[in-house]
Amino acid sequence: MIFLRRQVPLLITLITGLVFAGQYYVPHPASEQMLTSVTKWLQIIGGFALVLGVSSLFHVHAVKIRRKEAGWGYSFVLYVGMLGTIAVGLWANGKEAVDGAMTAFGWVYNFMMVPLQSTMFAILAFFIASAAYRSFRARSREAAVLLIAAVIVMMGRVPLGEYLIPLSGDLSQWILNVLNASVRRAILIGVSLGTVALSIKIIFGMERSYLGGGKE
Amino acid sequence: MSFTERMLKIDRRIIFLVIGLCTLIPLLYPVGLPIKISQEVRGVYDHIESLPEGATFLLSLDFDPASKPELHPQSISLLRHAFRKNLRVIALTLWVSGTGMADQVVTQVAREMGKENGKDYVFLGWSPGGTAVIINMGQDLYGAFPADYNGKPTKGLPVLQGVQSLRDVNYAVSLGAGRPGVEEWYVFGRDKYKFELGGGCTGVMAPGLYPLLRSGQINGLIGGLRGAAEYEILIDQKGKAVAGMDAQSATHLAIIVLVIMCNLFYFSSRSRARQQGQAGA
Repeated sequence: MIFLRRQVPLLITLITGLVFAGQYYVPHPASEQMLTSVTKWLQIIGGFALVLGVSSLFHVHAVKIRRKEAGWGYSFVLYVGMLGTIAVGLWANGKEAVDGAMTAFGWVYNFMMVPLQSTMFAILAFFIASAAYRSFRARSREAAVLLIAAVIVMMGRVPLGEYLIPLSGDLSQWILNVLNASVRRAILIGVSLGTVALSIKIIFGMERSYLGGGKE
Repeated sequence: MSFTERMLKIDRRIIFLVIGLCTLIPLLYPVGLPIKISQEVRGVYDHIESLPEGATFLLSLDFDPASKPELHPQSISLLRHAFRKNLRVIALTLWVSGTGMADQVVTQVAREMGKENGKDYVFLGWSPGGTAVIINMGQDLYGAFPADYNGKPTKGLPVLQGVQSLRDVNYAVSLGAGRPGVEEWYVFGRDKYKFELGGGCTGVMAPGLYPLLRSGQINGLIGGLRGAAEYEILIDQKGKAVAGMDAQSATHLAIIVLVIMCNLFYFSSRSRARQQGQAGA
């Protein structure tokens, strides 16, 4: 059992990791065909992952409802919403409209999901303004630099700011193109090197936490 | 409690009211301040302009309704531009929750421009797998999407004539609100399959994509509502983005004024506390 649970996954990881790291540099038709097949598997696994995610969500909220935990009413709303959407989605064959006429699924999407998600995002503007007022203070030199940069970029990104302070547009572009891009690039390089190191550790079996149960 | 302390602890509903008014009033009474075109947005526009008639343009609408106010105007402008140039448009989404919205925008603009489904454009819909879909399209487009959103087989569609994979796409633009989005289209698509790539994103995401832009990995970037407004001006069809810029101007200014005010009150209360401390000692 240990062999199946430990050695086999490690062997699969080692072989596929090495093969597909090498595949990127081999443009031979056979190599390309192999990639095509594997990406199809990936897409199929992606579909199953969706089923797994939905069933896990159902399970978590079913437990909350059964135990009547705090906020179980929201879990009930989630159940009703999800089951209702799945039912009308299946009924409408996943189509929002048929021959120009909106289906029940389309109605749920257009008049519930779209406005609800848009509202959630729009509310952010109010909370950001309130949070900025309460916490965006020049408590240190670093915070002062951040604050000045933020004000310049906020001015430079809107027509009114450029109208009031014509230089703010060019300054904000310079901050974004030079300061921001170079720092972001440094972070990206750091993250990428970390990813390469982690990938090597996973491929060669040094990092095994993905197998579950922590390190042996 | 002193005035400055009271101001520092101002009821947040007053701030909400200020932001609400700053959004509402400019929408009701637009000013129409001039909008300067940035190099990033011009990069996308110029590339589409340079494409010959019948070239293949792929538009990936990788966002959901939460980002609709920023990315919907971008998609409308890009589609109008592509259709006006008589490009063959291949649209898809990597976000399942954005499928219906993506279908609506593509169909609506195509109808407005008198374009025919299957001949001038195709909406492939959504397929599971995220980044795997990009790789699969790079290997074999018909394998990734055997049928379009309406269930019509993709093989044999006039709009896809001569297109086997992403290698045959002349220009691709991803309008991303997160992951998978522009970065994934570069890493898993453009880097391997060598097509030109442009990007569009929400305002908060734009600074994160500047390294890709500066290194030429993407040839243009439409950032947020401002980017959408610039594109609307470039194609000479002002829409919701231009209309929203006055509201955005006013809210930005309101937030700046609030931040300056809070800092003034903060320093004033700090210096008073320091003076009181010295007097006490």
